[in-house]
Amino acid sequence: MSIINDTDFKETLKFWPRHNEAIYRRLESKHSWIEKTSSGDGSPVDALEQEMVLNIGPQHPATHGVLRCVVKLDGETIKKCVVDIGYLHRGIEKIAENKSYQEFMPYTDRMDYLSPYSNNVAWCLAVEKLAGIEIPDRAQWIRMMMSEVARISSHLLWMGVGLMDAGAVSVFLWTFQAREDIYAIFDEVAGARLTVSHSRIGGVATDINDVGFNLIKDFAEKFPASLAGWEKLLNRNRIWIDRNIGIGYMSAEDVVAAGMTGPNLRGSGIAHDIRRFEPYLKYDEVDFNIPIRTEGDALARYFVRLDEMKESIKIIRQCLEKLETIQGPVRVEDAKRAYPSKNDVYYSMEGLIHDFMYTDTGVSPPKGAAAYHAIEAPKGELGFYLQSDGTGTPWRAKMNSPSFSNLQALETMMEGAQMGDMVIMIGTIDPVLGEADK
Amino acid sequence: MPQHDRTSQSPSTLPFNFVPQEPETAVENNPHEKATTQVDTVISALEKEFTDAIGETVVYAGERTVRVDASRIVDVCVFLKDKQGFNYLADLGGIDRFTEDDRYEIFYNLVDLNDSKRIRLVIRLDEEKLSVSTLTGVYPAANWNERECYDMFGITFDGHPDMRRMFMPEDFEYFPLRKEFPLLGVPGSLPLPPQEPTGELTMDPFPAAHGSKPPKSFEEVQTTDGDEG
Repeated sequence: MSIINDTDFKETLKFWPRHNEAIYRRLESKHSWIEKTSSGDGSPVDALEQEMVLNIGPQHPATHGVLRCVVKLDGETIKKCVVDIGYLHRGIEKIAENKSYQEFMPYTDRMDYLSPYSNNVAWCLAVEKLAGIEIPDRAQWIRMMMSEVARISSHLLWMGVGLMDAGAVSVFLWTFQAREDIYAIFDEVAGARLTVSHSRIGGVATDINDVGFNLIKDFAEKFPASLAGWEKLLNRNRIWIDRNIGIGYMSAEDVVAAGMTGPNLRGSGIAHDIRRFEPYLKYDEVDFNIPIRTEGDALARYFVRLDEMKESIKIIRQCLEKLETIQGPVRVEDAKRAYPSKNDVYYSMEGLIHDFMYTDTGVSPPKGAAAYHAIEAPKGELGFYLQSDGTGTPWRAKMNSPSFSNLQALETMMEGAQMGDMVIMIGTIDPVLGEADK
Repeated sequence: MPQHDRTSQSPSTLPFNFVPQEPETAVENNPHEKATTQVDTVISALEKEFTDAIGETVVYAGERTVRVDASRIVDVCVFLKDKQGFNYLADLGGIDRFTEDDRYEIFYNLVDLNDSKRIRLVIRLDEEKLSVSTLTGVYPAANWNERECYDMFGITFDGHPDMRRMFMPEDFEYFPLRKEFPLLGVPGSLPLPPQEPTGELTMDPFPAAHGSKPPKSFEEVQTTDGDEG
């Protein structure tokens, strides 16, 4: 009989007692609990002789947000780990059920806030699939290019923060310099740096102007050089490699069983990428590779993400080329399916009415329709399963978030690992809690 | 822009009242159809194997949604995994249909990574018996998704190794994604940390919305013991 099951938590757990008690019971601590400071005869308990229950997070700089890991330690070894999420739960799906399709789009910025553009695109594509809307070519190329810029931005943050977790602060500053360039691009293209909300159902909000176009061009030219510089520093760096090699190993069977997605899946040798699996936008018309590694450890995932950034640059270059020739509207010109242009709204009565109607009701997919559309977000498969009841708001919007799927594997990954590698393992999974907590 | 000929109509016939219209019907040739969801061979194999447990198949936007008898869902998934190669569970979630019978629905989004196929299974549960066998034995990835489904809809999964809530704390007693759950939440259902170190827990996170006036941060805190003068 374990002591933890007999412990009366009433005095120690003042806040959400049932919740915390359930977690501790889940840990199944066999021996002791460090909060118990004295043994039966009154002499103090020797902490080193006991297993220790340690709470890491939710407020911890290395957990990349409000992730809480309750670990049971035996010395330096993690015996068991219980991941507790939900500290950033805002009920995104409930909100979606009470907003019109277009109204909900800005909320998607707040999910994976490191690549908001991908989320916008994922939501809009899901709604477009549900309502059967085909968007103009130019809008598709713009969406695709900006999604790849967002992918680089997300991977850069992973890289900088991951290295900072491992003790190298300088790379963090360099990657943030590059992210600053990306923010300047988003600022110019979408009008906002972080919460871009640029995608619209039926297209994008605005066309790319020359300034934005040139900014992206400059970035695509300069970025490979800086990436090569970081590679030179890191790829043969003794400390970085030793911190990562063999850490957080997941075999190919493990990752599939655990339902991991994205670079975590590809780092274990599973060639699965939604851009190839079910090509959306114009991904079947561009030339790019899907980087794959078979080692399945943190180092493999590092190389996968690094190579993905290079592939993204390749896609961006092809998009830039295409955008020079493909002209035309950036939104569907059907007032029932997309917002009218601001020119129409300001200078024609019909435009104003359409704008009002679209804001009020918006796109109404057929009653009973249900569709799932997934994109390859930087973190993995980001999909929305939408069910329509024939009105302007979804009856059910289920979000399949990659961070949620990936975090699930953290518990198994942590078991038997060393405490010092914990931050590396959280970093290599690359979770964003805004997305995992919904 | 279409030119409307307004002069031919007298003002009295202009329709200013709202005429409800039938919503749009399904779009032919959805532009977002994917090749991965063309899984008719799998469905016919399923129907052959489980004749009575397989219900109707709904096709929308090229996606096949197969209705499965709730009691046979594990068998169907084992068959799909072992015989048809659907080795990856992408998503799982509940739906509140808010109907008299068979109120809840659970959908399973299964993927065949090798052959690039995607299929969706749907089971229906009645409000009276809100439990179904767990899929964690077949797809370990179902673990957190089922916990989320339990958290949001109150559907329990028999045989699940860890049937705790996913996002909400255990102390919460409601199921927020049910349609009857109010958008503003239930006052007092979820205590928040006290405003001061030794204070009481905050029982209502949205006091203003529920009619009471909380003290503003710049206002003096009212102390009950009057020895501060």
